[in-house]
Amino acid sequence: MRPLRLACGVAAALLASACAATGPITTPTDAAQESAAPGYLAVADQALAPGGTLNVQVHIDSGAATGYDPQLADVATTWQLLSLSYETLVTVGPDFAIQPLLAEKWDTPDDRTYVFHLREGVTFSNGRKLTADDVVGSLKRLLASKSVWVGQLGPVDEIAKDGDGKVKVTLKEPYTPFLAALANVPAAILPMKEIDDKSVDPATTLLGTGPYVVEDHRQDVSWTFRRNDAYWNQGKPAADVLNITIAPEEAARIAALQNGGAALATLGNVDSESMLAGAADVKVVTQATTDFYYLMLNSLKPGSKLADPKVRQAINIALDTKQIAEVALGGKGEPTAVTPAGLPGSCDPAALPSAAKGPDEAKRLLAEAGAENLSFTLTIFNTEPAPAVAQVIQQNLQQAGITVKIEQMDEASWSGKVYGKAPAEFDAALSWFAGYADPGMVTKWWNPETAGFNAGFMRPDPALSAAIDAAGKEPAGAARDRALAEVCAQADADAQMIPLVTRPATVAFRTDALSPSLYATEGYGNVLRLVADARVKKSR
Amino acid sequence: MRKLDRLSIGGLACLLVLVLFALGSPAGAGGDPDAIVGPRLQPPGPGWWLGTDNLGRSVLPRVMEGVGTTLLLSSVAVLVTAVLSAAFGILAGYRGGYLNELVMRLVEVLYSFPAIVLAILVAAVLGPGQTAALASIVLVTIPLMTRLVRAAAVAVAQRDYVTSAVISGAGLPRVLVRHVLPNVAGTIAVQGTYALSVGIAVEGGLSFLGFGVQPPQASLGVLIQQGGTYMIAAPWLILGPGVVLVAAILAINVVGDGLRDRLEPRETRSLT
Repeated sequence: MRPLRLACGVAAALLASACAATGPITTPTDAAQESAAPGYLAVADQALAPGGTLNVQVHIDSGAATGYDPQLADVATTWQLLSLSYETLVTVGPDFAIQPLLAEKWDTPDDRTYVFHLREGVTFSNGRKLTADDVVGSLKRLLASKSVWVGQLGPVDEIAKDGDGKVKVTLKEPYTPFLAALANVPAAILPMKEIDDKSVDPATTLLGTGPYVVEDHRQDVSWTFRRNDAYWNQGKPAADVLNITIAPEEAARIAALQNGGAALATLGNVDSESMLAGAADVKVVTQATTDFYYLMLNSLKPGSKLADPKVRQAINIALDTKQIAEVALGGKGEPTAVTPAGLPGSCDPAALPSAAKGPDEAKRLLAEAGAENLSFTLTIFNTEPAPAVAQVIQQNLQQAGITVKIEQMDEASWSGKVYGKAPAEFDAALSWFAGYADPGMVTKWWNPETAGFNAGFMRPDPALSAAIDAAGKEPAGAARDRALAEVCAQADADAQMIPLVTRPATVAFRTDALSPSLYATEGYGNVLRLVADARVKKSR
Repeated sequence: MRKLDRLSIGGLACLLVLVLFALGSPAGAGGDPDAIVGPRLQPPGPGWWLGTDNLGRSVLPRVMEGVGTTLLLSSVAVLVTAVLSAAFGILAGYRGGYLNELVMRLVEVLYSFPAIVLAILVAAVLGPGQTAALASIVLVTIPLMTRLVRAAAVAVAQRDYVTSAVISGAGLPRVLVRHVLPNVAGTIAVQGTYALSVGIAVEGGLSFLGFGVQPPQASLGVLIQQGGTYMIAAPWLILGPGVVLVAAILAINVVGDGLRDRLEPRETRSLT
């Protein structure tokens, strides 16, 4: 009997310790996050000597499916990696302001013309000088490609050299998000001479003007970057070597942070900040992003009830985005409309028509559509916090009598199921969009003829598409805000893709090993945007 | 035959309590396991006696559902194992020859895989979910039970009453079902209890790794996996399912020992 008594004793002791455990977990508020400077979560200590090896861990090595051509990269996790070697004409600064990068300045003689003045002394990592021909060639190549980003560039009419070191882009009509569209990796400037003479294949080789060059890559295992010694920006990158380890398991990334195997890691669990609060020399920060989760309802699946606008509207009404933000994201996210919450000019999600209605209205709509006992499968990937978001959605829809079965899979399988066939075979799926730096940009994905990737499950809505185009033409100001409000209302009624909540980015770093720079906000899903500034305190 | 000892009766009582605990979930005791009932990550208190999880769900009904899922899944899998092992083991042991060689080599191939590796392999082929968990438990538990049933059948096949039945003209099915099966039933029952504890551990391991039962449905493995993430910050999440898992495996093993002593007394136990 001794083992049994011992087991009972241990169990009782554990139970007692649990009951006596600390009170409810508190989430540190944003105010508690040490703010190094306005717009920043952290600023690298420039007094530290440059050099050393920076070890980073992320959860996924995406890009293998489409290759490493930046123009064809279509997910934010790939953009993040490619941004280490490639650069764009312009970039985003704190608070989403468009800033110079390869273009040191630009003129806008009228609302359809942009003249970019290229920075002097920029070379590709093979030592060849960047020319205006590279810029013209890159943008023309992008427009001629099947890149999803073509739709974001807007109505480009002509791209031409405008004397030495200048490039002129003429638009067919005004397009407000143009500069913000140029700030993302698919609009990166490529070594066109080498691409044209086929000495470089951008699908397999990374050759850009960026701070790092690839030294080694093992798919789904690691990337090793070394500093581009010819980098134009003096003093950058600070770290000589950047190791990026792919660690899909969150626990592995947390362990690496705790044992010093990683100096910086991206985390998915919204409670990471609380869970690592006691870890020595580890600091966790949450970056506010314009990225947001959305629910896809497949209206093209034969025989599906989700093809009925009333059914989709009922689902939209039954969703409680406030609860999703509070429960699934631990209060770190916020409800959003199709224009990302947090961007100037975005719509108020509380003012959407669906927000004013409740489960009873959803039930009425379902009854009208003859779908009282609606049941469907929600396909999700298993990366946190998506499963938590899905489970709250399931609870929300249960209030309206809708039964949701959750189907969980890895990101590659999920992508194959959602985007692999047209018409797509899934009922509903959960994903997230980068929200970018202009509130009109992400709305373009609500037109499947522009986006392309969702044409397998989404029917074009002419009224919504027209509203999106109209908002793109309006210059920033009250008139554009009204145009965007119309887009939000139309997307809310269409409900083929339902915006849910913003997606916070959690980053943890070792304070004894690293002094990083991190913006407080991010629009393109790029946590490593300022990695060239990071100072390594000691190499492990 | 001996009576079950007090320890075995205690184990049986513990199992009974767990089964009743699990039956409470579909009956609505403890509340809806998926319902969001309060703030996130609250320690045990009124309204949520085992605390709340990271989605504000009460842990108590989730543990109740988890016990039910794990016990049901493991029991069904072990039943399938018992039927298949009895069929193959008895046939191989009684007939011998090529059939015996074929069954034993297949069993050895399965036996050569570490249990959790075999389970992950099955889950990778079938995809995560209950079917994968069930198939994994069957494949992990079938080799040992088949070997033991076959060994028992070899011994029984040489007994006089079997020879008499054959001489008196009984056909193969009758000999196997009427004369061999009843005499290896004790081995199947004893081994079934051990397989049940292995099944619970395999289900827990698979779900812990994300290949088994999928959320929001709770199983002990799913709950321990979720609790493990919050082990320092919210220990109550792992405590409930952890204690229940230990209790279930301990109780089943104790009952198994008791059954073995009752059905296969030491003096009659074969070492083959």
